[in-house]
Amino acid sequence: MNALETRELSKHYRDVAAIDDVSISLEENRVHGLLGRNGAGKTTLMKLLTAQIFATSGSMRVLGEDPVENAGVLSQTCFIQESQKYPDGFRPLDVMRISQGLYPAWDQELARDLVADFRLPEKRAIRKLSRGQLSAVGIIIGLASRAPLTFFDEPYLGLDAVARRLFFDRLLADYAEHPRTIVLSTHHIDEVSNLLEHVVLLDEGKVMLDEEADALQSAAIEVSGRLTEVDEFTTTAEVLHTARIGALATATIVADGEQTAAAARAAGLDVAPVSLQNYIVHRTTAAAPAAAR
Amino acid sequence: MRSRTVIDLYFVNRMQAYGWPILVMVLALGIVLAVGAIVGTQGAEARAGMYEGMTWSGAIFSLLGPMIGYGFVSMGQYFPLALGLGLTRREFAIGQSLLFLGNALAYALLITIGKTLEVATGGFGLQIRFFDVFYTGTGASWQTFVQTFLLIVATLFLGAAITSAFLRFGQPFIWLGGSLLGILGVAMVAGIVLVDGFGAQLLELFTLGWGSWMGVIAVIGLLSAGTWLLLVRRTQVP
Repeated sequence: MNALETRELSKHYRDVAAIDDVSISLEENRVHGLLGRNGAGKTTLMKLLTAQIFATSGSMRVLGEDPVENAGVLSQTCFIQESQKYPDGFRPLDVMRISQGLYPAWDQELARDLVADFRLPEKRAIRKLSRGQLSAVGIIIGLASRAPLTFFDEPYLGLDAVARRLFFDRLLADYAEHPRTIVLSTHHIDEVSNLLEHVVLLDEGKVMLDEEADALQSAAIEVSGRLTEVDEFTTTAEVLHTARIGALATATIVADGEQTAAAARAAGLDVAPVSLQNYIVHRTTAAAPAAAR
Repeated sequence: MRSRTVIDLYFVNRMQAYGWPILVMVLALGIVLAVGAIVGTQGAEARAGMYEGMTWSGAIFSLLGPMIGYGFVSMGQYFPLALGLGLTRREFAIGQSLLFLGNALAYALLITIGKTLEVATGGFGLQIRFFDVFYTGTGASWQTFVQTFLLIVATLFLGAAITSAFLRFGQPFIWLGGSLLGILGVAMVAGIVLVDGFGAQLLELFTLGWGSWMGVIAVIGLLSAGTWLLLVRRTQVP
Protein backbone atom coordinates (compact mmCIF):
# COMPACT_ATOMS: atom_id res chain seq x y z
CA MET A 1 0.00 0.00 0.00
CA ASN A 2 1.15 3.52 -0.70
CA ALA A 3 1.57 5.98 2.16
CA LEU A 4 1.13 8.84 -0.24
CA GLU A 5 0.38 9.46 -3.88
CA THR A 6 0.27 12.59 -5.98
CA ARG A 7 -1.11 12.92 -9.48
CA GLU A 8 -0.15 15.88 -11.68
CA LEU A 9 0.22 17.96 -8.55
CA SER A 10 1.17 21.60 -9.10
CA LYS A 11 1.68 24.64 -6.93
CA HIS A 12 2.16 27.97 -8.66
CA TYR A 13 3.06 31.31 -7.09
CA ARG A 14 2.15 33.95 -9.67
CA ASP A 15 4.47 33.02 -12.55
CA VAL A 16 6.68 30.61 -10.57
CA ALA A 17 5.92 26.89 -10.65
CA ALA A 18 7.23 25.70 -7.28
CA ILE A 19 5.79 22.23 -7.93
CA ASP A 20 5.02 21.33 -11.52
CA ASP A 21 2.99 18.30 -12.52
CA VAL A 22 4.43 15.99 -9.87
CA SER A 23 3.17 12.39 -9.86
CA ILE A 24 4.80 10.12 -7.30
CA SER A 25 3.84 7.15 -5.15
CA LEU A 26 5.66 6.39 -1.91
CA GLU A 27 5.17 2.97 -0.38
CA GLU A 28 4.36 2.73 3.31
CA ASN A 29 6.85 1.61 5.97
CA ARG A 30 9.92 2.65 4.00
CA VAL A 31 12.47 5.45 4.25
CA HIS A 32 12.16 7.75 1.24
CA GLY A 33 14.65 10.45 0.33
CA LEU A 34 13.29 13.66 -1.13
CA LEU A 35 16.33 15.23 -2.69
CA GLY A 36 17.12 18.25 -4.80
CA ARG A 37 18.89 21.57 -4.84
CA ASN A 38 17.73 24.65 -2.94
CA GLY A 39 14.46 25.87 -4.42
CA ALA A 40 13.79 22.51 -6.12
CA GLY A 41 10.38 22.32 -4.43
CA LYS A 42 11.04 19.80 -1.63
CA THR A 43 9.60 21.92 1.20
CA THR A 44 6.67 23.05 -0.96
CA LEU A 45 5.80 19.42 -1.74
CA MET A 46 5.90 18.47 1.94
CA LYS A 47 3.79 21.50 2.86
CA LEU A 48 1.23 20.44 0.27
CA LEU A 49 1.15 16.89 1.58
CA THR A 50 0.60 18.13 5.14
CA ALA A 51 -2.08 20.61 4.02
CA GLN A 52 -0.18 23.69 5.16
CA ILE A 53 -0.61 25.16 1.69
CA PHE A 54 -3.12 24.47 -1.08
CA ALA A 55 -2.39 22.94 -4.47
CA THR A 56 -3.03 24.94 -7.63
CA SER A 57 -4.04 21.78 -9.49
CA GLY A 58 -3.73 18.00 -9.34
CA SER A 59 -4.62 15.56 -6.60
CA MET A 60 -2.98 13.86 -3.64
CA ARG A 61 -3.80 11.04 -1.25
CA VAL A 62 -2.05 10.72 2.09
CA LEU A 63 -2.66 7.49 4.01
CA GLY A 64 -5.42 6.83 1.52
CA GLU A 65 -7.29 10.12 1.90
CA ASP A 66 -7.16 13.77 0.90
CA PRO A 67 -5.15 15.43 3.71
CA VAL A 68 -6.71 18.89 3.41
CA GLU A 69 -8.67 19.65 6.60
CA ASN A 70 -8.57 15.94 7.40
CA ALA A 71 -7.95 15.50 11.14
CA GLY A 72 -7.84 11.71 10.75
CA VAL A 73 -4.90 11.92 8.37
CA LEU A 74 -3.08 14.86 9.95
CA SER A 75 -3.16 13.26 13.42
CA GLN A 76 -1.08 10.42 11.94
CA THR A 77 1.34 12.77 10.21
CA CYS A 78 4.30 14.58 11.74
CA PHE A 79 6.04 17.30 9.75
CA ILE A 80 9.37 18.49 11.09
CA GLN A 81 10.32 21.53 9.12
CA GLU A 82 13.54 23.43 9.24
CA SER A 83 11.69 26.76 9.17
CA GLN A 84 9.20 25.99 11.98
CA LYS A 85 8.56 29.11 14.05
CA TYR A 86 7.54 29.00 17.71
CA PRO A 87 5.67 31.63 19.76
CA ASP A 88 7.77 34.00 21.87
CA GLY A 89 8.76 32.48 25.18
CA PHE A 90 8.14 28.90 24.06
CA ARG A 91 10.59 26.34 25.44
CA PRO A 92 11.43 22.86 24.11
CA LEU A 93 9.66 21.50 27.18
CA ASP A 94 6.45 23.26 26.10
CA VAL A 95 6.60 21.89 22.55
CA MET A 96 7.14 18.37 23.87
CA ARG A 97 4.22 18.65 26.31
CA ILE A 98 1.95 19.78 23.47
CA SER A 99 3.22 17.04 21.16
CA GLN A 100 2.66 14.44 23.86
CA GLY A 101 -1.02 15.33 23.91
CA LEU A 102 -1.33 15.43 20.12
CA TYR A 103 0.39 12.30 18.85
CA PRO A 104 -1.35 9.09 19.94
CA ALA A 105 1.84 6.98 19.76
CA TRP A 106 4.09 9.54 21.51
CA ASP A 107 6.94 7.83 23.45
CA GLN A 108 7.84 10.02 26.41
CA GLU A 109 10.68 7.76 27.48
CA LEU A 110 12.28 8.06 24.06
CA ALA A 111 11.82 11.83 24.19
CA ARG A 112 13.57 12.00 27.57
CA ASP A 113 16.45 9.85 26.25
CA LEU A 114 16.87 12.03 23.19
CA VAL A 115 16.85 15.24 25.25
CA ALA A 116 19.74 13.78 27.25
CA ASP A 117 21.56 12.46 24.16
CA PHE A 118 21.35 15.80 22.34
CA ARG A 119 22.09 17.69 25.58
CA LEU A 120 19.13 19.92 24.88
CA PRO A 121 18.45 22.66 27.46
CA GLU A 122 14.71 22.02 27.51
CA LYS A 123 13.82 24.91 29.82
CA ARG A 124 15.62 27.57 27.77
CA ALA A 125 13.50 29.81 25.52
CA ILE A 126 13.58 28.48 21.97
CA ARG A 127 14.60 31.86 20.54
CA LYS A 128 17.79 31.60 22.64
CA LEU A 129 18.72 28.16 21.28
CA SER A 130 21.47 27.68 18.71
CA ARG A 131 20.57 26.50 15.21
CA GLY A 132 21.71 22.99 16.08
CA GLN A 133 19.69 22.90 19.31
CA LEU A 134 16.63 24.07 17.39
CA SER A 135 17.15 21.19 14.96
CA ALA A 136 17.40 18.82 17.93
CA VAL A 137 13.94 19.96 19.09
CA GLY A 138 12.50 18.93 15.72
CA ILE A 139 14.35 15.63 15.66
CA ILE A 140 13.12 14.70 19.14
CA ILE A 141 9.52 15.47 18.24
CA GLY A 142 9.79 13.69 14.90
CA LEU A 143 11.19 10.51 16.45
CA ALA A 144 9.17 10.45 19.68
CA SER A 145 5.88 11.13 17.87
CA ARG A 146 6.14 7.70 16.18
CA ALA A 147 3.69 9.06 13.61
CA PRO A 148 2.85 6.55 10.86
CA LEU A 149 3.99 9.17 8.34
CA THR A 150 6.86 11.44 9.36
CA PHE A 151 8.38 14.16 7.21
CA PHE A 152 11.83 15.46 8.10
CA ASP A 153 12.69 18.60 6.14
CA GLU A 154 16.42 19.34 6.53
CA PRO A 155 16.23 18.03 10.11
CA TYR A 156 19.81 18.58 11.14
CA LEU A 157 20.81 22.07 10.03
CA GLY A 158 23.51 23.33 12.38
CA LEU A 159 24.05 19.97 14.07
CA ASP A 160 27.65 18.85 14.50
CA ALA A 161 28.88 15.55 13.06
CA VAL A 162 28.40 13.71 16.37
CA ALA A 163 24.79 14.85 16.70
CA ARG A 164 24.07 14.02 13.05
CA ARG A 165 25.45 10.51 13.59
CA LEU A 166 23.29 10.25 16.68
CA PHE A 167 20.22 11.20 14.66
CA PHE A 168 20.89 8.56 11.98
CA ASP A 169 21.56 5.87 14.58
CA ARG A 170 18.47 6.64 16.63
CA LEU A 171 16.30 6.96 13.52
CA LEU A 172 17.50 3.62 12.18
CA ALA A 173 17.10 1.86 15.53
CA ASP A 174 13.63 3.26 16.14
CA TYR A 175 12.55 2.58 12.57
CA ALA A 176 13.66 -1.03 12.89
CA GLU A 177 11.60 -1.45 16.05
CA HIS A 178 8.63 0.61 14.89
CA PRO A 179 8.42 0.54 11.10
CA ARG A 180 6.72 3.57 9.63
CA THR A 181 6.93 5.78 6.57
CA ILE A 182 9.66 8.38 6.72
CA VAL A 183 10.25 11.06 4.12
CA LEU A 184 13.64 12.65 4.57
CA SER A 185 14.70 15.79 2.75
CA THR A 186 18.37 16.62 3.04
CA HIS A 187 21.49 18.01 1.41
CA HIS A 188 23.77 15.59 3.27
CA ILE A 189 23.04 12.84 0.77
CA ASP A 190 26.07 10.66 1.42
CA GLU A 191 25.36 10.63 5.15
CA VAL A 192 21.87 9.23 4.60
CA SER A 193 22.50 7.15 1.48
CA ASN A 194 22.62 3.90 3.48
CA LEU A 195 19.38 4.82 5.19
CA LEU A 196 17.33 5.55 2.07
CA GLU A 197 15.35 2.82 0.37
CA HIS A 198 13.78 4.97 -2.31
CA VAL A 199 14.71 8.34 -3.77
CA VAL A 200 12.71 11.09 -5.44
CA LEU A 201 14.85 13.82 -6.95
CA LEU A 202 13.17 17.15 -7.66
CA ASP A 203 14.60 19.82 -9.90
CA GLU A 204 12.85 23.12 -10.55
CA GLY A 205 9.58 21.69 -9.27
CA LYS A 206 9.62 18.60 -11.50
CA VAL A 207 10.45 14.97 -10.74
CA MET A 208 13.84 14.24 -12.25
CA LEU A 209 14.31 10.80 -10.70
CA ASP A 210 12.02 8.37 -8.94
CA GLU A 211 14.04 5.23 -8.26
CA GLU A 212 14.99 2.60 -5.73
CA ALA A 213 18.10 3.69 -3.84
CA ASP A 214 19.91 0.44 -4.67
CA ALA A 215 19.47 1.05 -8.38
CA LEU A 216 20.86 4.56 -8.04
CA GLN A 217 23.96 3.35 -6.19
CA SER A 218 25.05 1.60 -9.40
CA ALA A 219 23.39 3.92 -11.89
CA ALA A 220 26.64 5.60 -12.86
CA ILE A 221 30.35 4.90 -12.90
CA GLU A 222 33.42 7.05 -13.11
CA VAL A 223 35.92 6.16 -15.84
CA SER A 224 39.38 7.69 -15.97
CA GLY A 225 42.45 7.44 -18.14
CA ARG A 226 44.06 9.15 -21.11
CA LEU A 227 41.95 11.96 -22.55
CA THR A 228 41.74 10.38 -26.01
CA GLU A 229 40.75 6.98 -24.62
CA VAL A 230 38.13 8.47 -22.31
CA ASP A 231 36.72 10.59 -25.15
CA GLU A 232 36.59 7.59 -27.44
CA PHE A 233 34.90 5.39 -24.85
CA THR A 234 32.28 8.00 -23.89
CA THR A 235 31.26 8.90 -27.44
CA THR A 236 28.21 6.68 -27.26
CA ALA A 237 27.63 6.98 -23.48
CA GLU A 238 25.41 9.38 -21.57
CA VAL A 239 28.01 11.63 -19.96
CA LEU A 240 26.99 13.37 -16.75
CA HIS A 241 30.26 15.07 -15.97
CA THR A 242 33.77 15.39 -17.39
CA ALA A 243 36.97 16.68 -15.80
CA ARG A 244 40.19 17.15 -17.75
CA ILE A 245 43.68 17.66 -16.38
CA GLY A 246 46.33 17.88 -19.10
CA ALA A 247 46.31 14.63 -21.08
CA LEU A 248 44.15 12.84 -18.48
CA ALA A 249 40.39 12.84 -18.10
CA THR A 250 37.71 11.54 -15.80
CA ALA A 251 34.10 11.10 -16.94
CA THR A 252 31.00 10.17 -15.02
CA ILE A 253 28.70 8.17 -17.25
CA VAL A 254 25.36 6.45 -16.88
CA ALA A 255 26.04 2.73 -16.47
CA ASP A 256 24.05 -0.08 -17.98
CA GLY A 257 24.68 -2.64 -15.27
CA GLU A 258 28.08 -4.35 -14.92
CA GLN A 259 28.48 -4.45 -18.73
CA THR A 260 29.52 -0.79 -18.95
CA ALA A 261 32.14 -1.19 -16.23
CA ALA A 262 33.50 -4.32 -17.92
CA ALA A 263 33.69 -2.56 -21.27
CA ALA A 264 35.54 0.38 -19.70
CA ARG A 265 38.08 -1.91 -18.09
CA ALA A 266 38.51 -3.71 -21.42
CA ALA A 267 39.23 -0.32 -23.00
CA GLY A 268 42.05 0.20 -20.51
CA LEU A 269 40.25 2.69 -18.30
CA ASP A 270 40.10 2.78 -14.54
CA VAL A 271 36.59 2.35 -13.15
CA ALA A 272 35.28 3.70 -9.84
CA PRO A 273 31.81 3.74 -8.30
CA VAL A 274 29.91 7.03 -8.05
CA SER A 275 28.40 7.91 -4.70
CA LEU A 276 24.70 8.73 -4.53
CA GLN A 277 25.56 12.34 -3.69
CA ASN A 278 27.86 12.72 -6.70
CA TYR A 279 25.30 11.06 -8.94
CA ILE A 280 22.61 13.49 -7.77
CA VAL A 281 24.99 16.45 -8.13
CA HIS A 282 25.96 15.41 -11.67
CA ARG A 283 22.35 14.72 -12.68
CA THR A 284 21.14 18.12 -11.49
CA THR A 285 24.10 20.07 -12.86
CA ALA A 286 23.89 18.20 -16.18
CA ALA A 287 20.23 19.15 -16.38
CA ALA A 288 20.83 22.84 -15.71
CA PRO A 289 22.47 23.74 -19.08
CA ALA A 290 19.85 21.66 -20.90
CA ALA A 291 17.08 23.54 -19.13
CA ALA A 292 18.76 26.86 -19.91
CA ARG A 293 18.77 25.94 -23.61
CA MET B 1 -11.08 17.00 21.07
CA ARG B 2 -7.98 18.26 19.29
CA SER B 3 -9.17 21.89 19.33
CA ARG B 4 -8.25 21.87 23.00
CA THR B 5 -4.62 21.74 21.91
CA VAL B 6 -4.92 25.35 20.77
CA ILE B 7 -5.85 26.32 24.33
CA ASP B 8 -2.99 24.17 25.62
CA LEU B 9 -0.61 26.06 23.34
CA TYR B 10 -1.33 29.20 25.37
CA PHE B 11 -1.59 27.52 28.78
CA VAL B 12 1.49 25.33 28.48
CA ASN B 13 3.63 28.21 29.77
CA ARG B 14 1.20 29.96 32.09
CA MET B 15 3.73 32.42 33.44
CA GLN B 16 4.47 33.70 29.95
CA ALA B 17 0.84 33.84 28.87
CA TYR B 18 -0.92 35.04 32.00
CA GLY B 19 1.55 35.48 34.85
CA TRP B 20 3.53 38.34 33.39
CA PRO B 21 0.55 40.43 32.17
CA ILE B 22 -1.01 40.22 35.65
CA LEU B 23 2.31 41.00 37.32
CA VAL B 24 2.75 44.04 35.06
CA MET B 25 -0.80 45.12 35.94
CA VAL B 26 -0.03 44.79 39.65
CA LEU B 27 3.12 46.84 39.13
CA ALA B 28 1.16 49.55 37.25
CA LEU B 29 -1.47 49.55 40.01
CA GLY B 30 1.32 49.93 42.56
CA ILE B 31 2.68 52.96 40.72
CA VAL B 32 -0.79 54.54 40.52
CA LEU B 33 -1.30 53.88 44.25
CA ALA B 34 2.06 55.51 44.98
CA VAL B 35 1.07 58.54 42.89
CA GLY B 36 -2.22 58.65 44.81
CA ALA B 37 -0.39 58.55 48.14
CA ILE B 38 1.96 61.36 47.11
CA VAL B 39 -0.78 63.59 45.66
CA GLY B 40 -2.94 62.81 48.69
CA THR B 41 -0.49 64.73 50.90
CA GLN B 42 -1.30 67.91 48.93
CA GLY B 43 -4.82 68.23 50.32
CA ALA B 44 -8.43 67.49 49.37
CA GLU B 45 -8.50 69.76 46.30
CA ALA B 46 -5.50 68.01 44.77
CA ARG B 47 -7.06 64.61 45.49
CA ALA B 48 -10.33 65.64 43.83
CA GLY B 49 -8.45 66.94 40.78
CA MET B 50 -6.47 63.73 40.57
CA TYR B 51 -9.63 61.62 40.86
CA GLU B 52 -11.22 63.57 37.99
CA GLY B 53 -8.09 63.53 35.83
CA MET B 54 -7.52 59.81 36.29
CA THR B 55 -10.80 59.13 34.48
CA TRP B 56 -8.62 59.20 31.37
CA SER B 57 -5.72 57.25 32.86
CA GLY B 58 -4.41 54.62 30.47
CA ALA B 59 -2.71 52.54 33.19
CA ILE B 60 -5.28 49.76 32.69
CA PHE B 61 -3.70 49.14 29.28
CA SER B 62 -0.89 47.43 31.15
CA LEU B 63 -3.43 44.59 31.23
CA LEU B 64 -5.42 45.35 28.09
CA GLY B 65 -2.27 45.91 26.00
CA PRO B 66 -1.25 42.24 25.85
CA MET B 67 -4.87 41.43 24.99
CA ILE B 68 -4.64 43.70 21.93
CA GLY B 69 -1.46 41.88 20.92
CA TYR B 70 -2.96 38.40 21.36
CA GLY B 71 -5.21 38.77 18.33
CA PHE B 72 -2.27 39.49 16.05
CA VAL B 73 0.01 36.92 17.70
CA SER B 74 -2.64 34.19 17.42
CA MET B 75 -2.37 34.17 13.63
CA GLY B 76 1.23 35.30 13.34
CA GLN B 77 2.77 32.77 15.75
CA TYR B 78 0.25 30.18 16.98
CA PHE B 79 -1.48 29.42 13.68
CA PRO B 80 1.73 28.26 11.89
CA LEU B 81 2.69 26.14 14.90
CA ALA B 82 -0.79 24.62 15.19
CA LEU B 83 -0.76 23.61 11.52
CA GLY B 84 2.83 22.43 11.87
CA LEU B 85 1.67 20.11 14.65
CA GLY B 86 -1.01 18.67 12.39
CA LEU B 87 -4.13 20.54 13.49
CA THR B 88 -6.69 21.46 10.86
CA ARG B 89 -7.77 25.05 10.26
CA ARG B 90 -11.23 24.20 11.58
CA GLU B 91 -9.76 22.80 14.82
CA PHE B 92 -7.58 25.88 15.16
CA ALA B 93 -10.52 28.24 14.55
CA ILE B 94 -12.71 26.49 17.15
CA GLY B 95 -9.95 26.38 19.78
CA GLN B 96 -8.85 29.95 19.12
CA SER B 97 -12.44 31.29 19.27
CA LEU B 98 -13.01 29.53 22.60
CA LEU B 99 -9.75 30.98 23.88
CA PHE B 100 -10.67 34.51 22.74
CA LEU B 101 -14.06 34.28 24.45
CA GLY B 102 -12.57 32.72 27.59
CA ASN B 103 -9.85 35.36 27.80
CA ALA B 104 -12.36 38.17 27.33
CA LEU B 105 -14.60 36.69 30.02
CA ALA B 106 -11.77 36.19 32.50
CA TYR B 107 -10.20 39.62 32.04
CA ALA B 108 -13.59 41.38 31.99
CA LEU B 109 -14.39 39.67 35.29
CA LEU B 110 -11.03 40.64 36.77
CA ILE B 111 -11.45 44.26 35.75
CA THR B 112 -15.05 44.35 36.97
CA ILE B 113 -14.06 42.97 40.37
CA GLY B 114 -11.21 45.49 40.53
CA LYS B 115 -13.54 48.33 39.58
CA THR B 116 -16.18 47.33 42.13
CA LEU B 117 -13.56 47.19 44.88
CA GLU B 118 -12.05 50.47 43.73
CA VAL B 119 -15.39 52.29 43.78
CA ALA B 120 -16.44 50.71 47.10
CA THR B 121 -13.21 51.75 48.82
CA GLY B 122 -13.04 55.26 47.38
CA GLY B 123 -10.15 54.49 45.06
CA PHE B 124 -8.50 52.11 47.54
CA GLY B 125 -8.66 54.86 50.15
CA LEU B 126 -6.47 57.12 48.04
CA GLN B 127 -9.02 58.44 45.53
CA ILE B 128 -7.19 56.95 42.59
CA ARG B 129 -8.69 55.42 39.45
CA PHE B 130 -7.17 52.38 37.84
CA PHE B 131 -10.08 50.11 36.88
CA ASP B 132 -12.87 52.73 36.94
CA VAL B 133 -11.79 54.68 33.85
CA PHE B 134 -13.27 55.86 30.56
CA TYR B 135 -12.04 52.85 28.55
CA THR B 136 -13.58 50.29 30.91
CA GLY B 137 -16.70 52.34 31.64
CA THR B 138 -17.39 54.61 34.60
CA GLY B 139 -21.02 53.51 34.96
CA ALA B 140 -22.36 50.57 36.95
CA SER B 141 -20.23 47.47 37.45
CA TRP B 142 -22.31 45.39 35.05
CA GLN B 143 -21.71 48.03 32.39
CA THR B 144 -17.97 47.75 32.96
CA PHE B 145 -18.24 44.00 32.53
CA VAL B 146 -20.18 44.27 29.26
CA GLN B 147 -17.99 47.07 27.89
CA THR B 148 -14.69 45.36 28.77
CA PHE B 149 -15.87 42.00 27.48
CA LEU B 150 -17.02 43.45 24.15
CA LEU B 151 -13.89 45.59 23.77
CA ILE B 152 -11.54 42.67 24.40
CA VAL B 153 -13.46 40.25 22.16
CA ALA B 154 -13.69 42.78 19.32
CA THR B 155 -9.99 43.63 19.62
CA LEU B 156 -8.93 39.99 19.63
CA PHE B 157 -10.98 39.06 16.56
CA LEU B 158 -9.99 42.30 14.78
CA GLY B 159 -6.29 41.57 15.34
CA ALA B 160 -6.71 37.99 14.10
CA ALA B 161 -8.66 39.19 11.04
CA ILE B 162 -6.03 41.81 10.13
CA THR B 163 -3.18 39.29 10.43
CA SER B 164 -5.13 36.70 8.40
CA ALA B 165 -5.76 39.27 5.67
CA PHE B 166 -2.04 40.09 5.67
CA LEU B 167 -1.13 36.40 5.39
CA ARG B 168 -3.69 35.96 2.61
CA PHE B 169 -3.08 39.10 0.55
CA GLY B 170 0.40 40.17 1.67
CA GLN B 171 1.79 43.69 1.50
CA PRO B 172 -0.93 45.01 -0.87
CA PHE B 173 -3.44 44.57 1.98
CA ILE B 174 -1.40 46.91 4.20
CA TRP B 175 -1.06 49.49 1.43
CA LEU B 176 -4.73 49.29 0.50
CA GLY B 177 -5.93 49.35 4.12
CA GLY B 178 -3.64 52.27 4.98
CA SER B 179 -4.74 54.17 1.88
CA LEU B 180 -8.43 53.64 2.62
CA LEU B 181 -7.98 54.85 6.21
CA GLY B 182 -6.06 57.88 4.93
CA ILE B 183 -8.77 58.70 2.39
CA LEU B 184 -11.44 58.35 5.10
CA GLY B 185 -9.50 60.73 7.36
CA VAL B 186 -9.06 63.31 4.60
CA ALA B 187 -12.76 63.01 3.65
CA MET B 188 -13.79 63.67 7.26
CA VAL B 189 -11.54 66.72 7.56
CA ALA B 190 -12.81 67.97 4.18
CA GLY B 191 -16.40 67.44 5.33
CA ILE B 192 -15.82 69.40 8.55
CA VAL B 193 -14.15 72.27 6.70
CA LEU B 194 -16.30 72.41 3.58
CA VAL B 195 -19.77 71.12 4.48
CA ASP B 196 -21.99 73.11 6.83
CA GLY B 197 -23.32 71.05 9.72
CA PHE B 198 -21.10 68.01 8.97
CA GLY B 199 -18.93 68.66 12.02
CA ALA B 200 -21.95 68.95 14.29
CA GLN B 201 -23.40 65.71 12.97
CA LEU B 202 -20.06 63.98 13.42
CA LEU B 203 -19.90 65.20 17.02
CA GLU B 204 -23.41 63.89 17.56
CA LEU B 205 -22.26 60.53 16.28
CA PHE B 206 -19.40 60.45 18.73
CA THR B 207 -21.67 61.37 21.64
CA LEU B 208 -23.97 58.39 21.16
CA GLY B 209 -25.34 56.79 24.29
CA TRP B 210 -23.51 53.94 26.04
CA GLY B 211 -25.85 51.31 24.66
CA SER B 212 -25.40 52.49 21.07
CA TRP B 213 -21.62 52.43 21.46
CA MET B 214 -21.77 48.91 22.78
CA GLY B 215 -23.81 48.02 19.70
CA VAL B 216 -21.11 49.54 17.48
CA ILE B 217 -18.37 47.58 19.26
CA ALA B 218 -20.42 44.38 19.04
CA VAL B 219 -20.93 44.87 15.30
CA ILE B 220 -17.17 45.49 14.80
CA GLY B 221 -16.47 42.33 16.79
CA LEU B 222 -18.96 40.25 14.81
CA LEU B 223 -17.70 41.54 11.47
CA SER B 224 -14.10 40.88 12.52
CA ALA B 225 -14.93 37.37 13.73
CA GLY B 226 -16.83 36.63 10.50
CA THR B 227 -14.01 37.95 8.33
CA TRP B 228 -11.42 35.98 10.31
CA LEU B 229 -13.38 32.73 10.14
CA LEU B 230 -13.82 33.21 6.40
CA LEU B 231 -10.13 33.95 5.80
CA VAL B 232 -8.63 31.34 8.11
CA ARG B 233 -10.24 28.54 6.08
CA ARG B 234 -7.95 29.42 3.16
CA THR B 235 -4.93 30.82 4.98
CA GLN B 236 -1.64 29.16 4.07
CA VAL B 237 1.44 28.91 6.23
CA PRO B 238 4.11 31.17 4.74
